[in-house]
Amino acid sequence: MISLKKIDSLSDATLEELGFTWHTDSDATKYINNELVVITQAEAEAFYEAGNEIYEMFVAAAEHVIENNLFFELGIPFNLVEMIKKSWESDVHWHIYGRFDLAGGLDGKPIKLIEFNADTPTSLFETALLQWALLKENSMNEDSQFNNVYDAIKENFKRLITLNDDTELFDERYDGWKILFSSVEGNDEEEATTRLLQQMATDAGFNTGFEYLHNVRFDEEGIFDGDENQYEYWFKLYPWEDIGSGEPELATTLNSIMQNQQAIILNPAYTLLFQSKGIMKIMYDLFADSPYLLQTSFEPLDAIKQVEKTVFGREGANTKIIDASGKTLEQTDGEYGNYKKIYQEYVEFNADKDGAKYQAGLFFAYESCGLSFRKGSEIMDNMSKFVGHVIA
Amino acid sequence: MKHISSLASGVALGSAGVVMMSILSGCEAQQQEQQQQNRFLVIEQQANGKYIVAEEMPTDGPNRAIIREKDANGETVERFMSEEEMKALAEQEYKKVQDGSSETLKSGDSSAGMGLAGTILAVAAGSLLGNMIGNALMNNKNFAKNSASTNKSAYSRSTSPSASKSSSSKKSFFGGTNSKSSTQGSRSYGG
Repeated sequence: MISLKKIDSLSDATLEELGFTWHTDSDATKYINNELVVITQAEAEAFYEAGNEIYEMFVAAAEHVIENNLFFELGIPFNLVEMIKKSWESDVHWHIYGRFDLAGGLDGKPIKLIEFNADTPTSLFETALLQWALLKENSMNEDSQFNNVYDAIKENFKRLITLNDDTELFDERYDGWKILFSSVEGNDEEEATTRLLQQMATDAGFNTGFEYLHNVRFDEEGIFDGDENQYEYWFKLYPWEDIGSGEPELATTLNSIMQNQQAIILNPAYTLLFQSKGIMKIMYDLFADSPYLLQTSFEPLDAIKQVEKTVFGREGANTKIIDASGKTLEQTDGEYGNYKKIYQEYVEFNADKDGAKYQAGLFFAYESCGLSFRKGSEIMDNMSKFVGHVIA
Repeated sequence: MKHISSLASGVALGSAGVVMMSILSGCEAQQQEQQQQNRFLVIEQQANGKYIVAEEMPTDGPNRAIIREKDANGETVERFMSEEEMKALAEQEYKKVQDGSSETLKSGDSSAGMGLAGTILAVAAGSLLGNMIGNALMNNKNFAKNSASTNKSAYSRSTSPSASKSSSSKKSFFGGTNSKSSTQGSRSYGG
């Protein structure tokens, strides 16, 4: 049973003033829980270590995929393969941030990797700012939270320039290069996430701009905002696989832009390898002994309870829970059904006294940098709630 | 525990934290009066006689600049410009701003550069003439645009000149992703 602490919630008006407009879900329930998950310092440290180790395994598995040309197995659109390889070859294509979804980690349950949102992670605003604001509002000790997300991502933006060297060298080496940030118009959550990233980059010392995706202009010479200003970096909160399958002409142009070294696209194309759930099969092959990995296969697993997922798919869509006899216990629909499937050993989430399930979201920006939780049922979907945490 | 020790205060949240603190404490978000950083500029004369900023570095010392120009023989010569000289030129251009004749206020393509005084005013108005003037100028859309495009330092060296390229060759995409004009508006692209 996980431990929860009741707190005063922030009013909708305050949340809106903070720029957080998606506080109420489409079923009129509050998205932000008025409780915090209470964790211990040791649990926080275990999450920190887990994220760092898991990332190493992702890197090794991606290397394996590239060396052995396993893109098809991971469901990667063919027209992105060259960009993935190119971005992998040079450190200037720096991975800014991602979020691991994890089961366990509390109550003595082992931490297990569910998946890695490496390309377009949201829940950033809630984790970096809101759960801190909840501590503040409730006059709780601001130090008692594993939440270095804002600062860690800001530092990681600097590494676009300093790479593996000390980020203190940023000011010396930075030469005015600009980052354009883009999201879809009309989705508050994604726009606020993107603008928050822009703010982090600005704080890091970058010149930045924002332009909705459909106003961004491309040619082989580069990437431009609606006023024809050219940018050296483009951060898009838009999935790579959707560019590959839905915008093939753009994929071709981006490939030329990368080839001509006119712009660097973030998160890098290789993060699609991490994003594909198929890579967890490769990781399990390479690191079967890792305590963090669940058995994963491209074929249904034999006689164990398992979860069928599509290699790409967001917010719990197209997911099936299957018992040991092969019977479907629960399933969700979605628009990702055409993608390849993987089968992952079932694991229990941590639960509270009412049986609600908690999935940890662990942000990673060069290293593990912050934790938050989602509360829902067996399959976490976009009706699941955000729950902050406090270290007891 | 460096990694887990989290935030000592909202300051660690950078500019976002400052805004959040003020909202949570019920105070109006104060407009931060930012002291303009002094700069060391390298300003280069182009073949067309106009100037652009080739390099720009923040400095703790006074504002100063190297002006790189062509002499009568077409040789590149460099001269040093002190803060006083820069200030005099900026003031002279600012007078033109006030009577509306300054090229820094012109709309249109400024990527070819501007005159020396205009260039200096465009990139360093705040630190030379004070924040009030700098901010007031930046509120003018044309000035802000000229200021941004005069300072081409980073990419005029790293890309082929894009000014000569017709913008009609550029394409936009994501036509179906603007939820305001699309039937798949509820689709989320984050995760």
